Amino acid sequence: MSGLLAYISRRLGVMILILLAVSFTVYLIFSFLPYDPASLTCGKNCADPEIIAANRIRLGYDKPFYEQYWVFLVGLFAGRTYGEGQAEIFCAAPSFGYSFQQNSCVTDLVGNAIPVTISLAIGSLILWLVMGVGLGVVAAKFRGKIWDTLSTAFVLVGTSLPTFLTGLILIVFFVIKAPWSPFPPGGYTAPDVDIVGWFLSLVLPWITLAFAYAAIYTRFVRSQILEISTEDYIRTARAKGLSEGVVLGKHTMRAALAPIVTMAGLDFAGLLGGAILTEAIFNLPGMGRLSLNAVVDIDLPIIVATTILAATIVVVMNAILDIVYAFIDPRVRV
Amino acid sequence: MLKGKKSLKVAVATLSAAVLAGGLLTGCAPANTGGTLTYLTNSEGWTHADPNRNYTGLHIAWFGSYMHRTLTAYDRKAGAEGSTVVPDLATDTGRASNGNKTWEFTLRDGVTFEDGSAITCEDVKYGVSRTFATDIITDGPTYAIGMLDGTDNYKGPYNTDADNDVASYDKAVTCSEDNKTITFNLRRAVGDFNYTVTYLSFSPVPKAKDTGDGYDLKPVSSGPYKIQSYSKTDSMVLVRNDKWNKSSDPLRAERAFPDKIVVKFGQAEEVRDQLLIADKDKYAVSLDALLPTNQSTVFDADGNPKPEFEGRAINVLDPYVRYAAVNVSKLNCLPIRQAIYYAKDFKGLITLAGGQAFNGDPADGVIKPLMGLDYAKTGYASDDPNWKQEGNVAKAQELMAQAKMDCPELHARVTDPKRGIVYDIADSETNKKASAIWVESLAKAGIVIKFNFIEPGSYYAVVLDPSKQGDLSAAGWGPDWANASTVIPELFTEGAGFPLSQNWNDPAYAEFKKRSDANLAEPDRVKQGKEWAALNKYVMDQMWVIPGTFSKTQEIWGSGIGGAFFWEPQGALSFGDLYLKK
Amino acid sequence: MALLSVRDLRVQFATPDGIVDAVSGVSFDLKEGETLAIVGESGSGKSVTNLAYMGLLPKTRTTITGSVVLKTEDGEVDLIGMSVEDLRKIRGKDVAMIFQDPMSALHPYYSIGDQLIEAHQAHNEVAKEVSRDRAIELLALVGVANPDERLKAYPHQFSGGMRQRVMIAMALMNNPKVLIADEPTTALDVTVQAQILKLLRDIQAKFKMAVILITHDLGVVAGAADRVNVMYGGRLVESASVNDLYENPLMPYTVGLLDSIPRMDQGHGKRLRAIPGQPPSLIQLGSGCAFAARCSRKSELPNGKCETSPELKAVSAGHLVRCHLYDSKESVK
Repeated sequence: MSGLLAYISRRLGVMILILLAVSFTVYLIFSFLPYDPASLTCGKNCADPEIIAANRIRLGYDKPFYEQYWVFLVGLFAGRTYGEGQAEIFCAAPSFGYSFQQNSCVTDLVGNAIPVTISLAIGSLILWLVMGVGLGVVAAKFRGKIWDTLSTAFVLVGTSLPTFLTGLILIVFFVIKAPWSPFPPGGYTAPDVDIVGWFLSLVLPWITLAFAYAAIYTRFVRSQILEISTEDYIRTARAKGLSEGVVLGKHTMRAALAPIVTMAGLDFAGLLGGAILTEAIFNLPGMGRLSLNAVVDIDLPIIVATTILAATIVVVMNAILDIVYAFIDPRVRV
Repeated sequence: MLKGKKSLKVAVATLSAAVLAGGLLTGCAPANTGGTLTYLTNSEGWTHADPNRNYTGLHIAWFGSYMHRTLTAYDRKAGAEGSTVVPDLATDTGRASNGNKTWEFTLRDGVTFEDGSAITCEDVKYGVSRTFATDIITDGPTYAIGMLDGTDNYKGPYNTDADNDVASYDKAVTCSEDNKTITFNLRRAVGDFNYTVTYLSFSPVPKAKDTGDGYDLKPVSSGPYKIQSYSKTDSMVLVRNDKWNKSSDPLRAERAFPDKIVVKFGQAEEVRDQLLIADKDKYAVSLDALLPTNQSTVFDADGNPKPEFEGRAINVLDPYVRYAAVNVSKLNCLPIRQAIYYAKDFKGLITLAGGQAFNGDPADGVIKPLMGLDYAKTGYASDDPNWKQEGNVAKAQELMAQAKMDCPELHARVTDPKRGIVYDIADSETNKKASAIWVESLAKAGIVIKFNFIEPGSYYAVVLDPSKQGDLSAAGWGPDWANASTVIPELFTEGAGFPLSQNWNDPAYAEFKKRSDANLAEPDRVKQGKEWAALNKYVMDQMWVIPGTFSKTQEIWGSGIGGAFFWEPQGALSFGDLYLKK
Repeated sequence: MALLSVRDLRVQFATPDGIVDAVSGVSFDLKEGETLAIVGESGSGKSVTNLAYMGLLPKTRTTITGSVVLKTEDGEVDLIGMSVEDLRKIRGKDVAMIFQDPMSALHPYYSIGDQLIEAHQAHNEVAKEVSRDRAIELLALVGVANPDERLKAYPHQFSGGMRQRVMIAMALMNNPKVLIADEPTTALDVTVQAQILKLLRDIQAKFKMAVILITHDLGVVAGAADRVNVMYGGRLVESASVNDLYENPLMPYTVGLLDSIPRMDQGHGKRLRAIPGQPPSLIQLGSGCAFAARCSRKSELPNGKCETSPELKAVSAGHLVRCHLYDSKESVK
């Protein structure tokens, strides 16, 4: 047990180092982009070099890169104050800075966006796993038959139809042209405000996102099953006289679980960084839209925060997968 | 005693308003009053809701209609009449003295914020002072900084540095003893300062409620509606401001129709258009222009609304003029500039952009006909017998022949296949196609043109740098307010706001500068307008820009919306006049 | 009557390159309690023959004809053309199998207890505990120490030899009449090979099973089998009792196989001889002798003889051979 604890704390230590490196790199990259952050602070008035120069000093963009990074790190652990006098703003730790374009502390913005993205990601994950694994199994079981052909068609449509178009088609046919539709044309309702509204606001986005992923998973699960079917231990299972159902449902699927969980874990982690197109078409204020708008507006504090966060999620998910693996694969459990 | 007098006055005013309102209730009001008006927009929240940070016509029109009052405002009328300035918070449209360098406005009685407290001169003065805090109150127009006298070392109300020259601001803007009359002392004569103060950056802000940047999320209302909730990622909900004094606000008194106003942000553009085209919510209005791909669904080939969209869509001139700015310091030869003007294939370019019906008419200058007082035909473009939509090769060749004699050096460069002239343009697929049309049409006149495609995000940063600007630069400009004082001097004066023309070494500049400066101080608005129109023609005679189009925009709203018209000075719908049809 | 009677078994695979004649008319009998070795190079059809009638070949693109009659408690049944479900009930019960690589043949994610119990449960409607006791009993029998504990262990926690013992225990769970051991020792160390072969002999005696021992190595056959079938190119080329075959191999291929065995009694001086050449492609075998290209005694035959296919003939009682060199003897067909 102490070995496991040591393993976990070592993993956490490495994770923190990775995150420091990630944050430093992200900060470095954005400091050397050909944008002058000061010239983004005055809008139309930025034709006036005097205003730009004054803002550069007042907002600390004149300081060297490492000093700005240090201030950022300190803010992360101790919070950070912006402005002075009546305009003073304090962003409590962990402070990722303040967005003057959103008039809010970045941490608050991220805190608002994450529940939306998690709602979207979890629902669609469930949906696409059910669809993808189900269709993949059917396609593999009836390899070469009509069901296989149909699932191939589904894969083709799902992988080639852009998410944006899928979403738009759903909105047009299930909202705009459907007076009976219980679904809103977009927007997000918090579950603590209205749980039914939350569900209804997410059904179409879930389907949209799951559609694309389910296609990929169908193809993946089908090929995994076909590959595992040629394994010696599957022949052993048959030789034992097990029924085809047990061979497929138990022996084959158990072996396919590890690659599917890995893929789902990483896809899920990627989604937590934001599903930009789905969030955009369905007007869901999640991480994807936060990141996208930050990029469009060149809102550096948000870009830095969302980039670091996306990296963190992937790093954490890898750690989780390592632990989950120990449960799935007895060979990892030593 | 004084206080009592004032209270009485307020009471009388309130009474008369109540009587008036009662009359309305039994009259036509019930037909139009009440309900929830919904706006749909692709924007992620308002760029700004803080009055001092609002700049664009759309935002001024919206917030000005519902929440933020200013000393003076544009009359909310269709057509050129809308460009007339009328009193709003002030009792009149301002009183100038000292050769237009001192302007005085007196506040009406009974004007209040949403908490019921009276709006005073100090509130207006405080609001204007925020403009100086350029690191926090960003994006808003900075006319106050440029115009107020002696405020060079003033850094706004938040700055706590010892060298923040607060005294200079207190001298530049003063309040009368009764705190009702505000006086602005300007560093130069500004004949149309009462137009300047229509900007929301001259709105009152209660100091006690100011939180700097955070005020952008919860600005205090002085108008008929106040914010109930506002989330940039979701929606803004306005409800009636029960402390709003109808009698103190003749501009909005009989027009604040809906009970509730909702703005839904972040609508995907295609979804937004489809919702409105399908009339899914007949009480919804799009805050954005219709997508070009949906133009033909709503309008016929001539640009008129199809029968099913009659009365709920418009195709109108937007506030912008699109043109190719000429870098006169480089193209310092009039016949060559004129040759480019005649050789250009307007027809090819406008067809590429989607046709004249939706993209605009040929421009005959930099002032748009929308600016009724300042516009007069210049005799160029459609009115020029030598100008042809598809380009007049013969005329252009003739001018190039003359250029060969007048300015042989530049002529040699312009016609040299290895050098030619350089056109700055934002990098896009459409612009790449447009460049081919330019190359082909100018080649017929023997002019070689090369294109410098610039990343759209950094386009203006590049071309506004004189060392990087080419010979021609694609540009568009809309007036800050309905006065060409925000067009002619801004585009063609050295050190002004949008100096792409670099025309200050041109022999014709001296006369231009003299006339333009004089006209800025001209108090007679009609006279001033005529001179702007004359200067517009002067600019064209010098061909300091190659005119492009008076561009257009398409708007759509639900079938249940009444009262809509295009409010010309703001280039937006008359939001404050919209009502829900019963 | 034989326990298992294979007659004219043919297996064809459709591949993108053409039809593969993996097994072309194999016939043999397996008597009760007998150990029959099937010997051949890889690709000779020795494994496919058995997988075919056990229904373990991929169903698509495989054609199986002939008959394979098995004596069961319910009488004689033909495994070819039997329903999928009926054949399943025979697999692991009447006929059990063990395979070459015990690492890959055991499911890596299930404990061996799970896998053993599952084998029993598939054919017996009894409580799990009964199956578990049976598993412990058999693990002990095949020589796994602490079987009670080891039930919880996973395949990767066993050595190669131990894994094969587990496989054997699993095969024995339902007292099969026939045990097909497909290269059971190939993947194991030489010392372990001997132990496993001994174990197989012991359990065969104990359970009175017939065993089909499939191998490419005639060396393992010597002490283990009663009869030997030599296969080449999808056909049976020689069949004899072990002693007969070792003392009097007839077919040049069998001779080659015997020569490739390292033998203790021949000292160190003699180099091991491999059979020169490659096994034949099984696509469009043609009408000639499949072994002709590698035959060391081709010169002894008249011209054109090798272009015809030899028949399987008995040269003495119980010794069959498919070779033109012995054409004068009578066919047994």
